[in-house]
Amino acid sequence: MADLQRESILTLDNIRLDLPIAGIGSRTLAAIVDYLCLAVLWILWILASLLTFVALKDVPWVATWAPVVNLGGLFLLDWGYFAGQEIATGGRTLGKRALKLRVLTAEGGAPGAWALLARNLVRSLDLVFGIPLMALDPLARRLGDRLAGTLVVHDRGREAALFIGRVPPGWGPRELTLVEALLARAGTMDDAGRVRDMAEQVLRRIERDAPELLARIDTRSDPVAAIRRALEVEEG
Amino acid sequence: MDYARFVRLRRPVWEAFERQLAASGRRPSHADLEETALRYRQVLHDHALAAARYPGTAAAQRLRSLAVEGTHRLIRDGRNGREDDGLVRFFTRTFPALFRLHLPLIGVAAALFLLSIFWGLAITAFRPSLGTAILGPAAVAGLEEGRLWTESLVTTTPPSVSSSSIATNNVSVALTAWIGGLLAGLGPLYVLVTNGLLLGSVLGLTLHYSMGGELLEFISAHGFLELTLIVVASAAGLGVGRAMVAAGDRPRSLALRDAGRDSLKLLLGCLPWFVLLAAVEVFVSPRPELPVSLKLVLGLSLETAFLALALYPHRQATRDSQ
Repeated sequence: MADLQRESILTLDNIRLDLPIAGIGSRTLAAIVDYLCLAVLWILWILASLLTFVALKDVPWVATWAPVVNLGGLFLLDWGYFAGQEIATGGRTLGKRALKLRVLTAEGGAPGAWALLARNLVRSLDLVFGIPLMALDPLARRLGDRLAGTLVVHDRGREAALFIGRVPPGWGPRELTLVEALLARAGTMDDAGRVRDMAEQVLRRIERDAPELLARIDTRSDPVAAIRRALEVEEG
Repeated sequence: MDYARFVRLRRPVWEAFERQLAASGRRPSHADLEETALRYRQVLHDHALAAARYPGTAAAQRLRSLAVEGTHRLIRDGRNGREDDGLVRFFTRTFPALFRLHLPLIGVAAALFLLSIFWGLAITAFRPSLGTAILGPAAVAGLEEGRLWTESLVTTTPPSVSSSSIATNNVSVALTAWIGGLLAGLGPLYVLVTNGLLLGSVLGLTLHYSMGGELLEFISAHGFLELTLIVVASAAGLGVGRAMVAAGDRPRSLALRDAGRDSLKLLLGCLPWFVLLAAVEVFVSPRPELPVSLKLVLGLSLETAFLALALYPHRQATRDSQ
């Protein structure tokens, strides 16, 4: 998550909270997915209306009302596809789900139905002005977001974390972050030799700052496991 | 406090908060809510500490993610806790309060609309040839033969199709007027001026061919309310435009958000009437066998019903909205 663009909001007690703002790229991709889904729904709706009309053409009221239902359905799809989904799911359309995005209020809360409706009814204007506005705004807000007071953020859910249980004296956030990153990625890196090199460098640093942490630990056979044992790393 | 001690001491609180968030799909008890709110505050404070003293660490990242999730779950949008008004409450309280709030803008929109109608009327009176450009040669040829183009509403397409087409078109016009408010109010101004000009020109042209009476007969059942609704929808758009151009002493983002929400509610209060009017326009207005008086009574009744709903309960609605 370190690569994400972040902007701060103030929460309770004026505590600053960084939101993982979704930028223009991911939002545009989500919109493309949604418009593709909308096109498919349009085609399906027209086909379903035609098939129903053909199958029931002898029923008198079908000839009268089938075009009305068809027209009403297309109108609702046009104006309601985005708003309906976001209201039903709390700020996620199919495209946003695919890209793991979610709509929040400018305060980081859950947007209400009115806000979700407002931000989606102005999409036609945003097809013209939305992209330049998102590109210029640090919060990547289009017109609809400004009108409704909403933001779109990345929603990647809970990620597994490694917590260090013992910290050698003199270690600060820089060392802690580095060791946590190494332990988290060691299993997924292809170059085992490089992983071993980095782990041995960390072990040397531990030996220099707190040799007692390495007492009775075999550091030669598996340096990564040795770091885990020395620093009492727990997964959470 | 060193990092390891901080994690050891505080992690149970974070995990308990996480469990509460995971279980928040169920209806929580009052005690659960209080506990969740307390833990949320603890998580926020831990997040502030971790972000300042241990930035980038696993604890800081976990806390940020928990704080974002907690804020999303616990902070709800909506003023006065009435975000989810029921339909009855919406039409009897919310809509009238907003209608009254927007009365000055509705007045401005109505004045602009009337001016545009007179403008269109004057233009066509002096230059009848302009009417051909507006209505098209086929409609003008029909007028020369003593027929209104509105007959095609029931002769060339089934009434149900005409009705739904008119309803979706009118709703689209109203939505466009509101959306255009975001262009500093230019959208609703455009809708008001073009519709007023069109109506004025059409009136002028039909008067020129001595068909004014027939046109007024046609629009008597649905015209009053339809024009009122266009004016109200445009006033809703002007409300958005005003917040963009002149936010007053409030931050523009806040003014725009409030204006957007209020004007959208005003607009949505008008939409069901558009559907009703579309049915009247197709099933009542073009019927020559129905007497003019009946159409006129229907048109005035619809207008009165709308205005009564919009204005009558305003005292209580205003008190509620405060």
